[in-house]
Amino acid sequence: MSVFDKFLAGWSFRGSTPDYAAGDVLEVMVTGEEDGGAGEGGGSAGEGRGGHVARIGDSTLRIEGAPADAINTRIIVDVESWDDSAHTGRATYRKTVGESAF
Amino acid sequence: MTETRDGDPPATDGGRSTDGVESPDGSEFGVGEQDGDGPRIEFRGGKWASTVPLVFFIAWAILQSGVLGIGDTNGLVVGALIGTTLGMFLVRGDWKAYADTIFEGMTQRVAATAIVAWLWAGMFAQTLQTGGFVEGLIFAADALNVGASTFPAAAFVLCGLLATGIGTGYGATVAFVTLFFPAGVLIGANPVLLFAAILSGAVFGDNLAPVSDTTIVSAVTQDADIGGVVASRFKYAIGAAVPAFAAYLIAGSVMSGVSLEGAVALRESANALGLVHLLSMGIVILTAVAGRHIVEAISWGLLVAIAFNLLFGLSSASDIVVFTVTEAGSLSGLPVVEVGETAGVGGSLYSGAVGFFPLIVLTLLIVAMAQIMIRGGGFEAIQTFLLDRVATTVRRAELTMVLGTATINGMITINTAAEIAIAPYIARIGEKFNINGYRRANILDANTSALGYIFPWAGGVLVGYQVMVGPDGLGAEYGPGMVVNPIEVVPYVFHGWFLVAIFVLAAITGFGREYIPDRVSEEVSRA
Repeated sequence: MSVFDKFLAGWSFRGSTPDYAAGDVLEVMVTGEEDGGAGEGGGSAGEGRGGHVARIGDSTLRIEGAPADAINTRIIVDVESWDDSAHTGRATYRKTVGESAF
Repeated sequence: MTETRDGDPPATDGGRSTDGVESPDGSEFGVGEQDGDGPRIEFRGGKWASTVPLVFFIAWAILQSGVLGIGDTNGLVVGALIGTTLGMFLVRGDWKAYADTIFEGMTQRVAATAIVAWLWAGMFAQTLQTGGFVEGLIFAADALNVGASTFPAAAFVLCGLLATGIGTGYGATVAFVTLFFPAGVLIGANPVLLFAAILSGAVFGDNLAPVSDTTIVSAVTQDADIGGVVASRFKYAIGAAVPAFAAYLIAGSVMSGVSLEGAVALRESANALGLVHLLSMGIVILTAVAGRHIVEAISWGLLVAIAFNLLFGLSSASDIVVFTVTEAGSLSGLPVVEVGETAGVGGSLYSGAVGFFPLIVLTLLIVAMAQIMIRGGGFEAIQTFLLDRVATTVRRAELTMVLGTATINGMITINTAAEIAIAPYIARIGEKFNINGYRRANILDANTSALGYIFPWAGGVLVGYQVMVGPDGLGAEYGPGMVVNPIEVVPYVFHGWFLVAIFVLAAITGFGREYIPDRVSEEVSRA
């Protein structure tokens, strides 16, 4: 990103429920862990049981295959599916790239 | 990934957001997880007792700076030391874990990063002041033939330039109240408006300068590179500065000045050569935004500033660094060695770095107290409350961050200390919604910068007021017409108020919001 681009970044109104698409590769902060029940936000029963969750704004991305201690770490994931109406999706863990600032 | 604006007001039912997504519960956020892998500390009175050191420090800071009006960072250090000691008496069992946690907190990279940046920034800022940057700005005002009605607007712009260059709003306020304020009042500018305009300039620079202490803290605590943070906050700063400039032009034309005997010509202290430091300042900003390490960026600016000072005769070598000896010797002929009554080291490099020592010690203690809260469970308890009851949607989370920062800064008037205290919560709450580091840093710094120069008990206001009422102050020299009651300036610090308003609106409307998947902040380079 050029210096000029850095000054121009973010000049927009960003909604609270960002949407993604299958095939997207994202870096996200893992924000929680599902308790084993059906997840909120329209996920089908059984989907993502016991997996991790990344809350992106008010959208929810369920992550499979992340390490047990993934909460509060930044990871790279592959988005497998996304429901635009419910603003939820499923993704697969690829690698850990960082951690919480604190 | 481009979206239309979703400008509904935040949900207030605590359950569902306005866009229909159910709010998370605590488990969704991983609440209950033990942070890190350090030892837990058991307190008498439970996890809330772990907040005693930091709560005591905040109470001390409110009493010292807010109630008694003493803006002494060393005093806050004592408060932090006492608070940290008090907490130890509440530990159940072996106190070693508590003592170890103090060391653990002090050795965190977040504190080290800020400290390193401050030391270089201090040297750069002081070298610019020694090199006549203020006098250069006064020359610019004189050359532009600024009159009474436009003087406040000019003061806002020029003080903003100075503060952006030297990174200290307090320093810029003192310099401009000393040199610029009396000139403006004697020309016929309204003193209340002029003082407020100077404070607005200080807010602008404190918020935007890459060498500002608050900028550095906001960036490193949110794991964002300083140059990227400066670039990303430009839109907010300019969005507040343009209407503020217009407001000063309008108010300057309708608010009358006072009648004073005497004359202070601007050109008495004006020096056009001081303007070369606009280049020194530009080098730091551009290299930092280009992604170079902040130490490298400031070092280049420092080298250029020293070269300009010596080349144009703006300062001597001994103004930059000087060894004072009590007796002449073989090295007395060197330009950086002087004979004096007391042996010591001085100069802009020395005083610039040393000036940050109290803040460095305070930062280490505050980070240690925060670590005690984390190990004792108090941090987690407050975080759980906020995430379960208050910050239940991204909009409410951002509003919580904005208003929380404002509240803490309203109480602790030494704004950098307030910023360090609230930074961990801004990081965690923001991360729980994947708000990226740039956005978090901008939310953290806006109110920290603004409110440090608005309220009558704020440190930025008090340092300017002290110049007016001190023993050899402006009041003593020119009379009471040259003294402004701090409470009178509150409504006129336009840039500060507009900056606060912009961030409240930005949290509600989503303007400038960026998520971690949108753009990840670059690595914070650390020594």
